[in-house]
Amino acid sequence: MILETAAMSATTQISWLWLIPFLPAFGALINGVRGLICKARGYQAPSPKSVDIIALGSMGIAFLLTVVAFAKLFTLDPSARSLSQNLWTWFDLGGAKVFGGLTQTRINWAYKFDALSACMTLLVTGVGFLIHLFSTGYMAEERHDGRYYRFMTYLNLFVFSMLNLVLGANIMMMFLGWEGVGLCSYLLIGFYFDLNSAAIAGKKAFVTNRIGDFGFMLGFFLLFMLYGTLDFDTFMGMTRHLLAQPHITVFGITHAPTWWFNLIGCCLFVGACGKSAQIPLYVWLPDAMAGPTPVSALIHAATMVTSGLYMITRLNFVYVNAPVALSVVLFVGALTALVAASMGLAQYDIKKVLAYSTVSQLGFMFMGMGAGAFTAGMFHVFTHAFFKAALFLGSGSVIMACHHEQDMRNMGGLRKKMPWTYASMGIATLAIAGIFPFSGFFSKDEILWKVFEGWYTEGHTLNLIAWVMGMIGAFMTAFYMTRLMVMTFFGEYRGAGHDPYHLCKPVEDHHHDAHAAHGHDDPADHDSVHGHEPHEVPWNMWVPVAILALLALVGGFLNIPHSLHWIGGAHFSEWIGPLLYQKAAVHAHHGGAPAIEYVLMFWATFIWAPGAMVLAWWIYKVDPSWSKAKAFVTRFPNLFRWVHNKYYVDEFYEAAIIGPCKQLGAQLWAFDAWAVDGCVNGAARLTLVVSHISFWFDAKIVDGLVNLVAWILQAFSGLFRRLQSGRVQHYAFVMFLGFLVFALWKFLA
Amino acid sequence: MEQLEYLFSTLLTKHVFMLFGTLAVLGAGAMIFSKNAVHSVIGFLLAMLSIAGAYLCLRAEFLAMAQILVYAGGIVVLFLFVVMLVEMTKYKERKIFQTQTPLALVVVLISAVTFLGVFLKTIFGKSAEAALTLKPELTADGFNAATHNVQAVSRGLFAEYLLPFEILSVILLVALVGAVVLAKSERG
Amino acid sequence: MVPMNQVLLISFLLFSIGVAGVLIRRNALIILMCVELMLNAANLNLIAFARHSGTVAGQAFALMIMGLAAAEVAIGLALVVALYRKKDTVQVDGINLLKG
Repeated sequence: MILETAAMSATTQISWLWLIPFLPAFGALINGVRGLICKARGYQAPSPKSVDIIALGSMGIAFLLTVVAFAKLFTLDPSARSLSQNLWTWFDLGGAKVFGGLTQTRINWAYKFDALSACMTLLVTGVGFLIHLFSTGYMAEERHDGRYYRFMTYLNLFVFSMLNLVLGANIMMMFLGWEGVGLCSYLLIGFYFDLNSAAIAGKKAFVTNRIGDFGFMLGFFLLFMLYGTLDFDTFMGMTRHLLAQPHITVFGITHAPTWWFNLIGCCLFVGACGKSAQIPLYVWLPDAMAGPTPVSALIHAATMVTSGLYMITRLNFVYVNAPVALSVVLFVGALTALVAASMGLAQYDIKKVLAYSTVSQLGFMFMGMGAGAFTAGMFHVFTHAFFKAALFLGSGSVIMACHHEQDMRNMGGLRKKMPWTYASMGIATLAIAGIFPFSGFFSKDEILWKVFEGWYTEGHTLNLIAWVMGMIGAFMTAFYMTRLMVMTFFGEYRGAGHDPYHLCKPVEDHHHDAHAAHGHDDPADHDSVHGHEPHEVPWNMWVPVAILALLALVGGFLNIPHSLHWIGGAHFSEWIGPLLYQKAAVHAHHGGAPAIEYVLMFWATFIWAPGAMVLAWWIYKVDPSWSKAKAFVTRFPNLFRWVHNKYYVDEFYEAAIIGPCKQLGAQLWAFDAWAVDGCVNGAARLTLVVSHISFWFDAKIVDGLVNLVAWILQAFSGLFRRLQSGRVQHYAFVMFLGFLVFALWKFLA
Repeated sequence: MEQLEYLFSTLLTKHVFMLFGTLAVLGAGAMIFSKNAVHSVIGFLLAMLSIAGAYLCLRAEFLAMAQILVYAGGIVVLFLFVVMLVEMTKYKERKIFQTQTPLALVVVLISAVTFLGVFLKTIFGKSAEAALTLKPELTADGFNAATHNVQAVSRGLFAEYLLPFEILSVILLVALVGAVVLAKSERG
Repeated sequence: MVPMNQVLLISFLLFSIGVAGVLIRRNALIILMCVELMLNAANLNLIAFARHSGTVAGQAFALMIMGLAAAEVAIGLALVVALYRKKDTVQVDGINLLKG
């Protein structure tokens, strides 16, 4: 029996869709090859300007093509809103045995540009382009020491992988992108590979990702076994059929379809944990700050870490039918949101704060997914991308201006000196805190409402617990973001040695970030490092931040929740809606939203979040010496130590998991060295013995035979030599003897 | 003729032949056992002459004369010349017998005894007595046409065996040339 | 009337003595003479059988042999002379240049 390969709907074929991912790929290829050739020939490097043109040019053109394709999508009917292109057949798996029989599937290298992937592609190419632009200013030192081309190559390669992930028409393409972004993340985190900390961080990221990928692979292997295909369209079409089966037997195990979907959902979520940094696989994200700041912005805020969420939304047909998996997602997301936010409270490195903020916000997104609100979760992805990228790039500007200073205790008072950066980051902070009408309010509070609604309307206790954790996390988010802003932009600048309250980091030498070189790029400043006054960064650095902040400001209006429908419409939800798998019974739209929703919304945006911001303001701004914070630390030193050291999770992993693994590896190596080398040496000795024996044989016996022959010959020749006496009489005698013998023989015979 | 017949039938009987034979053997023995080379040559001469006499007893007169002419007159003289050339007349040789002499004598003795045994059986035996007698009469074909031996021999030589005779002369020429070449002194 | 067996006996004796002389004596001339003796013994044999059979072939043959013997003596003596010139001796013991 061959299962029907039902496609979701009609799709339009586009012939230039492949350019969108492949233009950055070509950019990476050209830049990389040029760089390698230059290095091989001993030149310094390709000129930074040419590298810029290729890298940014390819990104820009890809973005424009995306816009064109997006515009094209608008003209299509919602049920047929999909552009696709099938490039070639990658695997032909005809004859593989799956649940329904033998499959005839082909896994193609195909791209699908539908509503969800269009939004993601716009995000990746747009934000990617802005970050490329930012990097031209941020990586100013690297422009002149021959490493710049590598950075741009890796960035373009990353964009190519990410676009494969989001544009892929089947899970194999997504997995290709999945692994590709993992690889590029490793390459970019370890960009300064001569620094030990960066190399270790890159390795950590890659290994943790791989652990997650194991779960992801199990998940989609099971999907393949159930569906016989990896195509997204076919998934949507066949799910109803599969759910109608009473039992499904795969690998000899028989269960109800829901049990299988739960299993698949959990396995896939393990992959999402690895990629999107949830508990327990989040440990790589804070260490990933060892990479350059644009990398943190692009990969670890806006795009790569959202691939887990994209995957869940794409495969929502699994999760919608897998309540246990959804509960797991909800709980893990809420827990991560809470724990990561608490860790962000006690960090001094500006990038570390933002990293934990990212982990926490990702937890929020997963919370939304877990509550069944896929569009809310996805919308938070987009708004988070805007404000987090703005925050990271802004912090990059700040770091640049403070001369590679990353510790917030050594900053301060940058509000007047860097107005544009301050304004952009301020808008982004308000967005992340969830203040009305910034975008963060619309997305985060929608998530929290959906989680709450799960308890309020349907009575799931887990939703209540998750909601409480989420609210506390939101409070902490507002708190630490305000703390960050106050420490960085308000007060007096503490980096010039002017530190009346002794707030600076108590270390003598200047704190470096991962920039290995310490050259001065700006011709304007020739002061010593301590006496340098920070000032606004050049246009190619503050403009992207400003654009992103603007998007963080207005982006929320794309998805106004139903309860506030007089402000605007839920465009995003409607856009993504057709892609979601609808269960048979869809709970009907309420005529009006319940009152508790408005209560919670009001509470969150006017009391809860501003309260946290006021608290942070009070602790850190009102009192410039931060005496209340210091008193708290003195009062609860152990608590502070635990939180500041991230609850010693890394140390726990090292001792409980990594240590034993290394020991096992060492023992296996020892065994190999002993056994395998022993075998090799034994073989060598055996060969020696055999060779000795054959040498003896050859010398004694073979040579003996040869010598024997020679000796026989000599003996006989000695004998016969005596016949040749040279004397005639002897010859005569012998002749006579011969005659005699002959005669006698004749006579007597 | 009748005198010759008489002579041959009455006088030259086997006894005379035995005398000549004994003389020949004695001469041969003297030849091989004498220390002086000239004595050997004399012994040789005696043997040749005796054999000529034996030929006469066998009524081969031409050959007897040829024997005397060639051997006793030519060859013995040649030997004497060479003996004098190598100056063997002056001294006696110290060692005349070779080192292989005992072994050679033994071998010759063995062969002699063997052949004598054969002789005794086939020639001297009783059964062979009648067959082994030389026919005294000239009754054979070749001899009927000739009354004298010389006639018969010449007829045989120049009629039947002309070719061997001519070749013999060629051989003699070759031997002559060869002898001259070989004996030439090196200065020439 | 000479009995055949006597003739053959004499010829055999002469031949044996000739052989013995060849094998015994050191002097090359004596050896040559013994060779002549052997030839003569053969001649005697031939004539005896010619007389016995009544043909003249034997006698003619004996004449050939005589001529041949003369030629051979000439050559042989030339050799001995040449040998004497080289080695200053006619003892065959000293002539062993072909010794292998």
